[in-house]
Amino acid sequence: MIGQLLKGLRTTFGYIFTQPVTVQYPEVKRPVRERFRGRHELKRFADGKERCIGCSLCAAACPADAILVVPAENTPDHQVSYGERYAATYEINMLRCIFCGYCEDACPTNAIVLEHQYELSFYDRRDSIYTKEMLLVPEDQGHGDAPPILTQLERRPSPPAQIDL
Amino acid sequence: MADVTITVNGVTFRVPAGTNVVDAARIGGISIPVFCYHPRMKPVGMCRMCLVQVGTPRLDPATRQPMLGEDGRPVIAMMPKLQTGCTTPVSEGMVINTESDEVQFAQKGVLEFLLTSHPLDCPVCDKGGECPLQNLTMAWGPGNSRFDYNDKVHFEKPVHLGDLILLDRERCILCARCVRFQDELADDPVLGFDNRGRNWMIISKSDPPFDSKFSGNTTDICPVGALTSADFRFKARVWELSSKPVVCTLCPVGCNLSLDMRYDQLMRVMPRENGAVNDIWICDKGRFGHRFIEHESRLTTPLIRKGGHLVEASWDEALALVAEKLAAVQSSRGGSAIAGLASPRLSNEDLYLFQKLFREYFGSHNLDHMPGSAADVDYDEHGALMGVGKGTNLMEMGAESLVLVIGADPEEEAPLYVLRLRAMLERGAKLVVANMRPTKLDRSATTRLYYQPGSELAFVRGLLRAVFDRVGHERLHLKHSGLEQLRKTLSDLSVEQAAELCGVPAETIRAVAQALLEAKQGLIMYGAEARSAGAGMSESLGVLAALTGKVGKPGSGLIALLPGGNSRGALDMGVRPDARPGYAVLSQRGLGAREVWPALREGRVKAVWIAGLDPAAQLPAARAALEAADFVVVQELFLTATAKLADVVLPAASVAEREGTYTNAERRVQRSRQARQAHGEARPDWQIIQGVAQHLSELSVPVAVPTQRVEESSQPVGGKGKSKGPGKTTAVTVAEPSTWDYLTPSEIAAEIAERVPGYAGITYSALAATGQGGDWGRQTNEAIFYDGTNYENSEGIGIQLPNLIEGQKTAVSLGLRPLSKPAHERSLLLVSQSLAYDGDLLLRGSLLERQIPQPYVALSQTDADKLNIKPGDTVRLDSAAGELTLSARVVDDVPAGVALIPANLPNFSAAAVQTGPRTRVNLVKVVTG
Repeated sequence: MIGQLLKGLRTTFGYIFTQPVTVQYPEVKRPVRERFRGRHELKRFADGKERCIGCSLCAAACPADAILVVPAENTPDHQVSYGERYAATYEINMLRCIFCGYCEDACPTNAIVLEHQYELSFYDRRDSIYTKEMLLVPEDQGHGDAPPILTQLERRPSPPAQIDL
Repeated sequence: MADVTITVNGVTFRVPAGTNVVDAARIGGISIPVFCYHPRMKPVGMCRMCLVQVGTPRLDPATRQPMLGEDGRPVIAMMPKLQTGCTTPVSEGMVINTESDEVQFAQKGVLEFLLTSHPLDCPVCDKGGECPLQNLTMAWGPGNSRFDYNDKVHFEKPVHLGDLILLDRERCILCARCVRFQDELADDPVLGFDNRGRNWMIISKSDPPFDSKFSGNTTDICPVGALTSADFRFKARVWELSSKPVVCTLCPVGCNLSLDMRYDQLMRVMPRENGAVNDIWICDKGRFGHRFIEHESRLTTPLIRKGGHLVEASWDEALALVAEKLAAVQSSRGGSAIAGLASPRLSNEDLYLFQKLFREYFGSHNLDHMPGSAADVDYDEHGALMGVGKGTNLMEMGAESLVLVIGADPEEEAPLYVLRLRAMLERGAKLVVANMRPTKLDRSATTRLYYQPGSELAFVRGLLRAVFDRVGHERLHLKHSGLEQLRKTLSDLSVEQAAELCGVPAETIRAVAQALLEAKQGLIMYGAEARSAGAGMSESLGVLAALTGKVGKPGSGLIALLPGGNSRGALDMGVRPDARPGYAVLSQRGLGAREVWPALREGRVKAVWIAGLDPAAQLPAARAALEAADFVVVQELFLTATAKLADVVLPAASVAEREGTYTNAERRVQRSRQARQAHGEARPDWQIIQGVAQHLSELSVPVAVPTQRVEESSQPVGGKGKSKGPGKTTAVTVAEPSTWDYLTPSEIAAEIAERVPGYAGITYSALAATGQGGDWGRQTNEAIFYDGTNYENSEGIGIQLPNLIEGQKTAVSLGLRPLSKPAHERSLLLVSQSLAYDGDLLLRGSLLERQIPQPYVALSQTDADKLNIKPGDTVRLDSAAGELTLSARVVDDVPAGVALIPANLPNFSAAAVQTGPRTRVNLVKVVTG
């Protein structure tokens, strides 16, 4: 009888002495995989210019219709991104987003990237809309140089459809 | 034209002879890619995209018969090189190959070559998503390019071709569609090519740059994103837009528009194809002039005057107040102490309900659709009575038709008519333009005449006499009266005498009369300057149409260019003091706008309701009258000068926020749909009128007059000495008192169809019929050919009303009023010139605002020399009415004896000097300092 009990609990007792797999979230956070698709970030070039050119291709690719882009024109005094166009409004509704990453695929300038942040909870539905200010990385955290075609000419040229950034 | 049999890619079918290969293949459902070819323009074969293999049957030199091969089929001689399909007309037995390796090699080559200088910036390009270059590259182009991206020639990005159009030179593929559109269709040859090779580019040659009223169309037909409009630049991507079908209310043409909306915001305005109205074009006024819809100064809530200030109020409060005050005026002073003015931009439904409320509830005929200035012209009846016959389609008219444009400047008054008349000319029509001064249409005219200023009536009388001398009344097939009187009137003035009066040689008058008689179809178009000569002018033109037999059949009749989008509707709906809907003449007329202002000041009229008009801005008399009025209701989009004087201001919905029907210059009724939600709490005009009516019935105001019968009357409209039969013959049976519970405008339209003569059958469901699709419609290849210009009209092309004399229901009076001798007490004739870009409230917030000129008076060189006036001098005009100081311009186009001032400019009014539609003035230079 007791033997059978011990036999049945053998596995249980065995695990008592091993390291547990669960982590004490939120005190402890498990690192995610490199290709994890979490909250989006809008990237910048190393010089601080926004990568987003307001082309709305992310919104077009989005299967959940979660993205709104309202473009506007750059002016010499107010040059937000390279080229003629930038996103004046950029909003993602995180309740709609299914984190499929199509927006990332569609982006011609690698401006939108799904990063590793996954803590997205809100008390209000309205808070689920992430605005451009929330999504944009700080100015000093840009990476990469703009392609020479965009920077070397004083002519406000536009990024071409396919260019390796 | 006879048909020929052709074989395309092995499929044999018949097409009309003379068709080019591209269109012929399309008839057979086969696509040939094109860039420069456009069916509305002559082919040029510039882009080489339509290269195909073409062969024709080899002919036996002896018999001129096709030689037959061993299999009994004709021997085909293929042309040694590929041919451009757009410039090659089909011939009998032609064999065309569009898919062979050779053709595909050529197509790939052409596309690869075009793309070598294209920046490939599709993500930021406004054309992206509806771009023929994208589509053709996907369908016919090579997968990749051998050209190094870094070797591309780059230009500085956008250059302004004009205020409205921007050019991106590196995107341009130099197809010359824009250049050809401006040269051939618009007759504004302002674009051209400059430089050559890789630096070949489009430039504007005019000053101010891109000076054309049709410039926006070039962005539609541009097959790449080279031409973009300043209005839509970087506003949205085209796939985000949803097109809402509306009708343009900015001029009497009534172009069909698509308002392209993203969610609830207007992004751009595009034409919607309607062969009978605007084909596939719109003018810049329609394209850029709709920003008023979302202007921040739009009214959003009702306002009530409390303690001298207008404060926000609820609809219930405002409507109840209006009903209460109007009812009080009615019970104390009678309905005739209430007057109503409604703008000709309102829809037929609004106008109908407006006059119905006034006539049924108040028993008041004090209605008008004009602001009541001295310059208001007489109500135009003949445009309806003798209007163009049902079935008129300017798109189908050409050879054997003649258009007489008299006293009109279509480019300013109804711009799209320029394109349509020019298209008729292209098909062989004749165009006679008679004006007192040169207009731009003159350049296209086959005959152009200038009569002495103020002598248009003499000119038309001369024409009438010449016609009468030649054919008498043998072509007069209408029921008519007054033939003897006409004979007598005409015998008083010989062609030579008329020629002397109007300054046009007698032989020219005879030649025009002869041409009008010879033409199978004849249109007579008259505009503001002709109408300012008085009702005698339209009457004479009506008789001219009748005598030449150019009335009561398709393709013939009068076209009156009236101000506003729906003046014809306002007249049809009886928003005038002297006639009910359907031109049913009243025996006792009410007060027109011009009489309302003194009546208000004298206290004969106590309350006035103004819907969509702004008389206070232009007329000091109206301003004083409105200040004196007991109660003023204004129903408007904006807080206008008039609205600021009101006791209650009701915010109205704009054309984009409601449904309605509008009647254009050719009496075509068209339906406009709702494109966006109401602006704030604004309501459609018909709902506001109905709301007041409902509150009135709650106050149990008795219905004032029995409206059951139209007064039988032989009394002429306004007592102008002439009988117009409609009152006699049009029996309108008005049913039981209405309940004022219309849920939708379609219910009002149904009532209009029932009660307004001529509108029978004009229901919303009938208006939705699209008839035969145009050339554009859904068809093979259209998305590739004409992407960006395939504006399929799925929402109805409208219905043309029969004119009132069709069916011989009405007798036409031929009696003419006598020619009055012009008085010459002052030296110059002051003529107001209608401008397309004027102080119209609806242009508010648009890019066109900066093209509105500053007030000026234009003089001829002769007069300027005589009066020692230089351009820019300040001059003083004085007339019997008063004085006005203006800056002077000296313009070649102005004839001697005329002082031309632009009509209806913002913050400027010529009312101080005007004594009528035309005023005699003296002019002196003001010496300052």
